[in-house]
Amino acid sequence: MGGKLGLRLTGWVLGTLTLVFLAYQWLPIFTLALLSFSGPTGGTTFPMNGTSFHWYEELWRASVMNDFKPPLLRSTLLAIACSATTIVLSVMAAQAMRGRFRGNGWFFYLMLLGLMAPGILVGFGFAIMMRLLGVELSWDTTTFLVQVSWTLPFGFLTMLAVFNRFDARIEEAALTLGASRLTAFRRITLPLVLPGVIGAGLFGFSLSYDEYARSMFTTGPELTLPLAVMAQLDRQLTPEIYAVGTATTFFSLIAITLFTVAFWAMRRSTAVRRS
Amino acid sequence: MTVDALAASPPAKAGTAQGPARAQLDLELRNIRKRYGSFTAVDDVSLKVGKGQFVCLLGPSGCGKTTTLRCIAGLEEPDDGGILIGGKEVTQDPPWKRDIAMMFQDFALFPHMTVARQVGFGLEMLQRPKVEIAQRVQQILTSFEIAALADRKPASLSGGQRQRVALARAMITEPRILLLDEPIGALDYSLRETVMLELKLLQQRTGISFIWVTHDQNEAFSLGDLVVVMNHARIEQQGAPEDILLRPATAFVAGFVQGNNVFRGRMGEVLADAFCIETGTGTFLAPRALGAPPVPPGTEVSFSVRAEQITDQLSDRHVNRLTATCTAVEYFGSVRRHILERSDGEVLKYDQFGAHAARIVPGQRVTLGWAIESTVLHGRAGA
Repeated sequence: MGGKLGLRLTGWVLGTLTLVFLAYQWLPIFTLALLSFSGPTGGTTFPMNGTSFHWYEELWRASVMNDFKPPLLRSTLLAIACSATTIVLSVMAAQAMRGRFRGNGWFFYLMLLGLMAPGILVGFGFAIMMRLLGVELSWDTTTFLVQVSWTLPFGFLTMLAVFNRFDARIEEAALTLGASRLTAFRRITLPLVLPGVIGAGLFGFSLSYDEYARSMFTTGPELTLPLAVMAQLDRQLTPEIYAVGTATTFFSLIAITLFTVAFWAMRRSTAVRRS
Repeated sequence: MTVDALAASPPAKAGTAQGPARAQLDLELRNIRKRYGSFTAVDDVSLKVGKGQFVCLLGPSGCGKTTTLRCIAGLEEPDDGGILIGGKEVTQDPPWKRDIAMMFQDFALFPHMTVARQVGFGLEMLQRPKVEIAQRVQQILTSFEIAALADRKPASLSGGQRQRVALARAMITEPRILLLDEPIGALDYSLRETVMLELKLLQQRTGISFIWVTHDQNEAFSLGDLVVVMNHARIEQQGAPEDILLRPATAFVAGFVQGNNVFRGRMGEVLADAFCIETGTGTFLAPRALGAPPVPPGTEVSFSVRAEQITDQLSDRHVNRLTATCTAVEYFGSVRRHILERSDGEVLKYDQFGAHAARIVPGQRVTLGWAIESTVLHGRAGA
């Protein structure tokens, strides 16, 4: 009886801690979101001066100093490209690691280097190297490359973990039933690791979408969203910037939701039906 | 499980271009060898499997039986040697080009596919029309009495049901050879005997060769037409179950097979019709076939005697004798087994059949004996 009570108490304590932690994580964003709805004369701190969609209208008209729409579009395209690239490369790299090959230990650590190296140095070094090679810096070439070096290790680790729990004999069964390696991958392996693949894609998207340090030196004149936001913060702080933050968070949430729905749909199709 | 559906399907595949002699063999392994780094998993294994034979690869874990099976499947490529399936050289072929199917130890069902879908997978790979696939899946599910499970996924099936699904999935394409890796090891003990019988009948009805890997000698001896005993990557002995039970060729086989007493010693005097073998517990006689070559005295040899060939009711026939102390008496069905300690500290097993009262009790010292012809000398010496 006492044990049961203790268990219940532990449950409550841990549940409360979890809620407090989530609030801690989300309240700052909520504060910004709230302030972004202040009236036309509103400042960047509490108390709010009225409520309106004024700053969102401003944002859409892009009147103040910068047009956030192109950076938003660039960042979104960049995040999608990084996500897709991360998916393809991380699945391939993790598959290669399953087979073991000469120097696979080195390969593993080199892949993870992108995770350890400080972003600002990577971006700076990469920019210098590109200059040396005479490559023009641009968000859709140099920034893309440098961001993939950041997102790829996350996808790689995700896929390694997924394949680590994967029963290779299921693939072998397909091979002995007449499936070629490609068919076995497409029909058996991929559907079973798809939740992990979506996870890798999600890492690729969200890490690229708000990456600042690596983009700073490698982007050239056409800025990505985080760079544009920083530029705006440097010059003039209005609730418009909060509106930008809220809008982008909202955007990320939509992306995450889409991935989650896809994930859930996959899980359902591969789900175990318990009798 | 009924097997009519499969038995009714066209059985024998026509002989190959390489002639009828080769086509008689479903499988031939020629001196295959497989190493992993410095570890040799399969060493110089040769095997011939006739049409529709039931072969059991028997041995302790790590003896190379599963690796041999995987080489046949094409999941491992041997470093040396050749593999022929139905007379056709397939050593370099990938699994999907071989006329085989495999049943894995834990069945390796596709977790994301319904029973019907995965049973039809093999036919789908052969690009058969959808209507035909559906029909044949229905047919095999019905004959395996799992038609009701067609829309279920593996996670919701019991062990016995999974086993049937795995079997149906492997057999639907009617491969020449079915490879089975400990196929009933994952089943409840109570199910095993029934399933063994069903599989034996199915094999006989379909004429598909079964290569069955197991560490359980009861499985091997009750199922196999041919039993191949492996140890340390090599084949120790292959033959009919009776051969292996009654005439173990090596000390390992004798020790591995239940009910043998193994003795090691040195060759002594060679008589016209017997070999004298000197051991730590005395000198024993083994039969020497007419004209069998002599063995140089001093050669290390081993021999075995089956526990049921020993007796405590000695007569002139029982020239091999030794004294031992009974330590325990065990009962296996109608068999009473006495565990005794030899004077060299080794264990001696002595089985009595029938329901008569025990004559020997623990602690008792007895003299036991056996006839010359009950001594099985190992190695070429006994041949």
